[in-house]
Amino acid sequence: MPHDSHDHTDPPSDLALRVKALETALTRKGYVDPEAIDAVVDTFETKVGPRNGAAVVAKAWTDPAFKQRLLDDASAACAELGFSGQQGEQLKAVENTDAVHNMVVCTLCSCYPWPVLGLPPSWYKSHAYRSRAVIEPRAVLQEFGVDIPEDKEVRVWDSTAELRYLVLPARPDGTDDLSEDALAELVSRDSMIGTGVAQA
Amino acid sequence: MTNSVHDMGGMQGFGVIDREENEPVFHAEWQRKTFGMMMTSLGPFQVNLDHVRSRMESVPPSTYLELGYYDKWLLTLEELAIDKNVISKEDLAALMAGQDVSLTRDTDPFPAEGMLAFLATGATAARQIETPAAFKVGDTVKAKNLNPKGHTRLPRYVRGHMGLVIADAGGQIYPDTNATFSGEGPERLYTVQFHATELWGNDANPKDTVCVDLWEPYLEAAS
Amino acid sequence: MGGMHGFGPIPREDNEPIFHEPWEGRVLGLMMTTAAHLKGNIDNTRSDSEMLPAKKYLSLAYYERWFVRMERVCQEKGLVDAEDLEALWAGQDIASAPEAEAVTPHDIRTMLANGRNYVRHLNTPALFSVGDIVCAKNINPKGHTRLPRYARGKTGEIIAEHGGQIFPDTNATFSGEGPERLYTVRFRASELWGPDANPADTVCVDLWEPYLEASKTS
Repeated sequence: MPHDSHDHTDPPSDLALRVKALETALTRKGYVDPEAIDAVVDTFETKVGPRNGAAVVAKAWTDPAFKQRLLDDASAACAELGFSGQQGEQLKAVENTDAVHNMVVCTLCSCYPWPVLGLPPSWYKSHAYRSRAVIEPRAVLQEFGVDIPEDKEVRVWDSTAELRYLVLPARPDGTDDLSEDALAELVSRDSMIGTGVAQA
Repeated sequence: MTNSVHDMGGMQGFGVIDREENEPVFHAEWQRKTFGMMMTSLGPFQVNLDHVRSRMESVPPSTYLELGYYDKWLLTLEELAIDKNVISKEDLAALMAGQDVSLTRDTDPFPAEGMLAFLATGATAARQIETPAAFKVGDTVKAKNLNPKGHTRLPRYVRGHMGLVIADAGGQIYPDTNATFSGEGPERLYTVQFHATELWGNDANPKDTVCVDLWEPYLEAAS
Repeated sequence: MGGMHGFGPIPREDNEPIFHEPWEGRVLGLMMTTAAHLKGNIDNTRSDSEMLPAKKYLSLAYYERWFVRMERVCQEKGLVDAEDLEALWAGQDIASAPEAEAVTPHDIRTMLANGRNYVRHLNTPALFSVGDIVCAKNINPKGHTRLPRYARGKTGEIIAEHGGQIFPDTNATFSGEGPERLYTVRFRASELWGPDANPADTVCVDLWEPYLEASKTS
């Protein structure tokens, strides 16, 4: 279709200018320290991400006592591994079983368990995912290459409050002799959102 | 703004979910800065997350859909800076145009170390409440049909529907009042499990469920 | 959109012209005069417009939505092709011989004056009668429907019956007029919007029989 003149967003250069202007103002007036901004950015670009969650899942797979603690109080269990903080103050782990496949969404905004998964990918924040996950989770899962049998429950968790959900995926078959580190490699980010499964 | 377009659960027409292989955490430097500024300036602006969410969902629906994710964050930050008299609209425009403006220091910023410590500890929304729980795990409840003009976290798609209480998370800051600074007004939070067929009708898979975290004032006993 | 918030005050214009731009009038005229060649129907046209991505739907003005649809459908149905349109945008002329007989001014005046009839005779008995309490079904079809979201699952009273009428849900996809009985259902505002609504207020919605079921709670 020609002439999409209404389908616009501001060009990036404009956004860059706007950000620079605001940062300058906030810095000069003493509200923010540019180094603190860099520290926040660096945290989520290099330190906190889905590898944290993968370590939690691998430990839960190999240590039944830890798994129980994780299911009882996920924030405390994750803190044992050093993962805690904003958007993870009240973590809930939900376990995939033979009967239930869990999947997490935030229909109202973009709530996501930062300390264990980092910042959400764009698709998690997309209008398509937010609108569809609750009404047609199976169609969404199929798009992601996950087929759930008709007679198994798909349980969608809509993060409306300050509880943050982490899916504990099922441990793949044939991984009995893998180390915890090797197991963590099998845990994808999507498997902890519930739009994927862990695969050997 | 309650029934605006941000309340997307169950809406149709948004198409397929676009995914990007090996997506970077941020797509541009301005996004990095916007994210960092939001995290560092909530304190100095004296605003809470519910207020920020409320602002973001109050943009006109067409704007909400048109703007990218961090575009909305930036717009919100600009509006906050102006509303909180940190900077005037004119001065902000002048800075954008590359002109210098005279700005005096109002306060001292939160240092990087403090910010990192705050990120690592977080701030829980859980609050002790003395009032007895109106519902308990195993109760069947009905989400009220509420359509407030202000901020709420009761999604449209559950209103009027019956579900099962599966968890009691205790007292939690109540977003509906916290968003307008009318107090944290903690209320008990429950996780309520709804059958997909109850929410979407008989075409839904009878096995499937949706669990939603709902505060006590959003719920009533199932009649 | 019924019941959505955030769209702000209703913009009103004093002495508003029928068309704000001459092109808007041309779009209306094109719509009316090409309808027969496009072999669409009103439900299909509505369905098409609703299928626009939400962002686009909200960002386009009223006649723009009509126009982008017209432009697309005219190409899909082979009335015009993309190359010709591009040439015309570039101010070039196109060589084209008439392929069809255009609707004449006289025809279109007659069509406008006569209107269309959506009423269809039904032999099946009415499931409901005036005074019945009914519940609008909670259905969420992917295709076209005229059952607004805000009425779904809500209980109301039948206040009128209009006999058989073309059923939009099937007509929109050309799967047949499939006429169904149409009722007007009156809902209390408090039923639709909760206890904050004025208990005296009501909303009346025209709903086809397949949208309705007998109320469980009457």
